[in-house]
Amino acid sequence: MSGLGDLEREVMAQLWDAGEPLTVRQVHERLDPARGLAYTTVMTVLDRLAKKGVVTQQKADRAYRYAATQTREEMTAALMFDALSAAPDGAARDAALAHFVGRVGPDGAAALAAALKAAAGDR
Amino acid sequence: MTALLLGALGLTLSLIVPGPLARARWTARAPGATVVLWQSVTLAAVLCALGVVLAAPEELVRAHGADQTFGVAALVAALGVAAVIVVRLLVSVGLVAYRSRVRRARHRLLADLLDAHAGLDDVVRVLDGGLPFAYCVPGRSPRIVLSQGTLRVLDTQQVAAVLAHERAHLSARHDVVMESFTAFYRAVPAPLRSRAPLDAVHILLEALADDAARRRHGNGPLREALQALGGPVGDLELEPHDAARERRWRLDRLAPGAPGTDARLSAAIYAVAAAILVLPTVLLVVPWLDRAMHTWPL
Repeated sequence: MSGLGDLEREVMAQLWDAGEPLTVRQVHERLDPARGLAYTTVMTVLDRLAKKGVVTQQKADRAYRYAATQTREEMTAALMFDALSAAPDGAARDAALAHFVGRVGPDGAAALAAALKAAAGDR
Repeated sequence: MTALLLGALGLTLSLIVPGPLARARWTARAPGATVVLWQSVTLAAVLCALGVVLAAPEELVRAHGADQTFGVAALVAALGVAAVIVVRLLVSVGLVAYRSRVRRARHRLLADLLDAHAGLDDVVRVLDGGLPFAYCVPGRSPRIVLSQGTLRVLDTQQVAAVLAHERAHLSARHDVVMESFTAFYRAVPAPLRSRAPLDAVHILLEALADDAARRRHGNGPLREALQALGGPVGDLELEPHDAARERRWRLDRLAPGAPGTDARLSAAIYAVAAAILVLPTVLLVVPWLDRAMHTWPL
């Protein structure tokens, strides 16, 4: 994975673990200070994540704070549901992803959604 | 006459051939050649449609001895309809490719962010969660996504077989083949199209990836992985009917004593695929072109 990709994952992990919106400085401090990461780099990464829609930017007390738009569990559930359920239009086979074994049918998708929701609620 | 023959051939290729070809058992012994055969049948059907559109007006004009102006009008109309067919196909290819790329980009992003293995591998991503599944996100920057559940259910050999299967999909760009068939399916008007090629090619590509995986890791681990990942998950019976049938078909190919791939059969299928594309052109289109060149007001 590229260096920026690694950093994106680590920044997301900090936001998820914090459980509250963080400023760029707070994220910067929480990442390993020993590796000499520039403040502006962290800002760039947060900006990229915001553009991709996985992070929101909120203004509070004259400072921008960043938060993940979904919890880790919600995002995992959303990804799995999208991966495992049938193609959105159903008419044609979806060519976007290839599964090791067949996808989940319409009935299965409903059951799966319920199971994922229950699992997310368990935490 | 040319238009009638091309029309009959086109309808045969698009409506009559797919059913028996999809049900044929010998395709299991030559999956790669059969994918090429499906491509040849599909492409030949499109060429037949174009041939009908171009030849029919010319033949009508010639049969009725119409005048020059009418001939020009018929030529323009024929070229217009042919252009519509081609553009419709290209637009469909573009749309399918675009939608796939958007969905893949989203999957790649989320899988990278959620990866529980901290990017140890360039391609493989592991997601939290007990539900066992494995899939790949094709493209120029591909990913293979596994769940923790998969790693719990499968042993090392079986995981290696699954990864080899997915890597075969990715390196052979099976997604491009699947996209092209999906695009053709969407572009063809409803009464003329058949789902059979789509489903048949899908399972043949799975067979090709299975063959790549078993060459490296043997039949056993792959078969066990297919059994473990495809069955009911806990008390959830998730597998739809056609997926269950596909899995049985793949398990049968991997069973001890099942016939392997057959090089001679493959060669014969390749020859038929080439003939389907070449023969109609040589026997029907070239003689017609020869006649038409004298008739068309060029």
